[in-house]
Amino acid sequence: MSRPDASGWDQQAQQALKDAASDVGTVRIALRTAARDRAWSSYTIVLVAKAEETTGKTEQDLSSVQVPPARRIAARETLDLLSQAVASVQEARAHAADGRYDDPGLVDELTRLAKALQAEATKREAAAQ
Amino acid sequence: MPDYDMGLHLLDRQIVGADDRLVAKVDDVELTRGDDGSLTPTAILVGAPALLPRMGDRMGGWLMRMFRLTREAAADRDLPLLIGMDLVDRVESEVRLTVPGHGRLQRMDRVRADDRTRCRVGQILGTPVVCDRLPRRSKVLDLRMLGTPGGAGPHRVTSLIVGPDRPGALLGYDRRSEPGPAPVAAFVQWLHRHARVVELGRGVEIDLDAGEVRIGPEASLLPLRG
Amino acid sequence: MKRYFAVLLGVLTAIGGFVDIGDLVTDAQVGARFGWSLTWVILVGIGGICVFAEMAGRIAAVSHRATFDLVRERLGPRVGMLNLVGSILVTLLTFIAEIGGVALALQLVGSVSHVLIVPFVAVAVWLVLWRAKFSSIENVLGLMGLALLVFAVALWQLGPDWNEVVHQLKPTSNPGGESWQTYAYFGVALFGAAMTPYEVFFFSSGGVEERWTRKDLGVMRANVFIGFPLGGLIALAIVGCAAAVYLPQGIAVETLGQVGLPVAVGVGKIGLAIVVVGFFAATFGAACETGLSVGYSLAQYYGFQWGKFVRPKEAARFHAIVLLATVLAAGVLVTGVDPIMVTEVSVVFSAIALPLTYLPILVIANDPDYLGEHRNGPVANALGLVYLVIVVIASVAAIPLMIATSTGQG
Repeated sequence: MSRPDASGWDQQAQQALKDAASDVGTVRIALRTAARDRAWSSYTIVLVAKAEETTGKTEQDLSSVQVPPARRIAARETLDLLSQAVASVQEARAHAADGRYDDPGLVDELTRLAKALQAEATKREAAAQ
Repeated sequence: MPDYDMGLHLLDRQIVGADDRLVAKVDDVELTRGDDGSLTPTAILVGAPALLPRMGDRMGGWLMRMFRLTREAAADRDLPLLIGMDLVDRVESEVRLTVPGHGRLQRMDRVRADDRTRCRVGQILGTPVVCDRLPRRSKVLDLRMLGTPGGAGPHRVTSLIVGPDRPGALLGYDRRSEPGPAPVAAFVQWLHRHARVVELGRGVEIDLDAGEVRIGPEASLLPLRG
Repeated sequence: MKRYFAVLLGVLTAIGGFVDIGDLVTDAQVGARFGWSLTWVILVGIGGICVFAEMAGRIAAVSHRATFDLVRERLGPRVGMLNLVGSILVTLLTFIAEIGGVALALQLVGSVSHVLIVPFVAVAVWLVLWRAKFSSIENVLGLMGLALLVFAVALWQLGPDWNEVVHQLKPTSNPGGESWQTYAYFGVALFGAAMTPYEVFFFSSGGVEERWTRKDLGVMRANVFIGFPLGGLIALAIVGCAAAVYLPQGIAVETLGQVGLPVAVGVGKIGLAIVVVGFFAATFGAACETGLSVGYSLAQYYGFQWGKFVRPKEAARFHAIVLLATVLAAGVLVTGVDPIMVTEVSVVFSAIALPLTYLPILVIANDPDYLGEHRNGPVANALGLVYLVIVVIASVAAIPLMIATSTGQG
């Protein structure tokens, strides 16, 4: 288990948030492309399943890092966002496997999450300085 | 070209059979010493037992021991394969044989390996040179040969190229006057600015037992470029 | 007529064969993170591979000697051996990445885990290397590789803001706001992807395989000077597609599926199908090339018979090595290692290993013993020296940058 100091934790959190935002963004594009019938299902499933795997790993890796006392609140927020990302990407994978791409609610949720993750990453970057 | 340099133009060259099949590389060359001290190439040596000793004194010895261990029971594990110099047709950018390569490489026999009148080019290259007119730590860099193997006339080692040890096997810039690219050529020439050619004969003694070449005052040292 | 056809075929296969898994992944990653701002590195890389391949091709055509054949002659057995070990490791790494790339491409069609596909790919690669004719491997896969031109169509369909593109072309624009260390690291990776050592082993050994002579110098130069730059356009199109779709959203490219996704966005299902065919051809072709290159470099160091211009039983040792390398590559991949990660490492190590083969070729290209009147002229030497400097800088900078950026993460 790693025990980083506050700024070290900020850096790790920033990387995790950026990675998750990237995965969520990819899933969003993949779903929208599939909904417009521009990709076949196995292509979409491979993309989304890989994103699901990496977001899960990103969340796990960060949650196993010892949080420095000064970052308790920030950590709760970050990990909460990450678990939301994991849940949405999981849902997206389930939809993709069923061939249901046309769920505007899910796409909106992914859009919102990607933005929130980016914003949080920017915050952590600022804090790390 | 009436003469050529052993290290530069024969060692490590590709051997090609008369049927155009690739045979092997010239891993080393066997020299036979005449009673008059002359050195004549008699065979091309091939295989790990010829190549590995050339990897340097310590490294080569270690690699050879490792190689023997890969088949300890074999009595001939340390003996190279050989192909007689009489089968060499000509030496160009590759070494051409007068016969197809198939089944041509013979294992050297123990008697020949222990023959004190025979030695290898690889043993002479890199041997320290003792001479008060050369920089300290000078070595034998190459052997200059007269004639082409299989060609008319005698072929034997005529002179040694000696000088301070430098990486890169002279990179082929030893004798041609305008090889370019100019900066690289100039750099290599500068590396070898102390290299000299010394003719075999009076005053030059190759003593492999002592591991040195002695050059006396009566031998003349010529610059690499005439 | 036949001659024109030969030139055309050569150029087309050079275009289709230019891109491999290293280019696919690195180009898309760079486009997503740096937009068009590293375009200059691709251009420098294309120039470099042209200079290098032309010298190696000329040596092959005039002296009928392939690259590694000459490395040992010029550097001696010790440095030659170091060179051999370094080059073989990099080529093997690339071989692993290419076979993994084929499996990833097939996974996009069948959605079966790539680990399960790897053994079949390895068997297919080996069968092709054992049975197929050299020219058919090169021509079929090279022509299929032209499918990747669909990236250019996709870029046009995606319709990026061309003013913005022109702005990003400036090397200092760095639109993703990445650190300059990361910028330099990806610059080296991109250079390594464009100038992979195996490409030159393969190109020069291929010249010997196809029995080029002085008469073929014109065809060889057409392949190099027309085919490679046009192939480089595919690389630029991949960068552009990734820049258009991923850069604005801050998405990093980590999978082969992401590399092709912009084509689906821009062109649709048919375009996507064409791209996957292109992925397959590019990686399978490069897998064949790297597999052969492992055999070529070992055989050329030791001097035993190599090549597909003789029957397999006449080059038994060569084919045994190719078989071993294939088994080894498959063995590494079935452990589940991510082929994309292997690719990322292989392109950087390519940049590190490049001077090992570049310098001897530059020296021999000047040697009248091998080339006679065809040795380097002043232009070839000037370019050769410029690239010698670039190649050495990239090689020396690679490891410090790799450490400083923790392989491009930071």
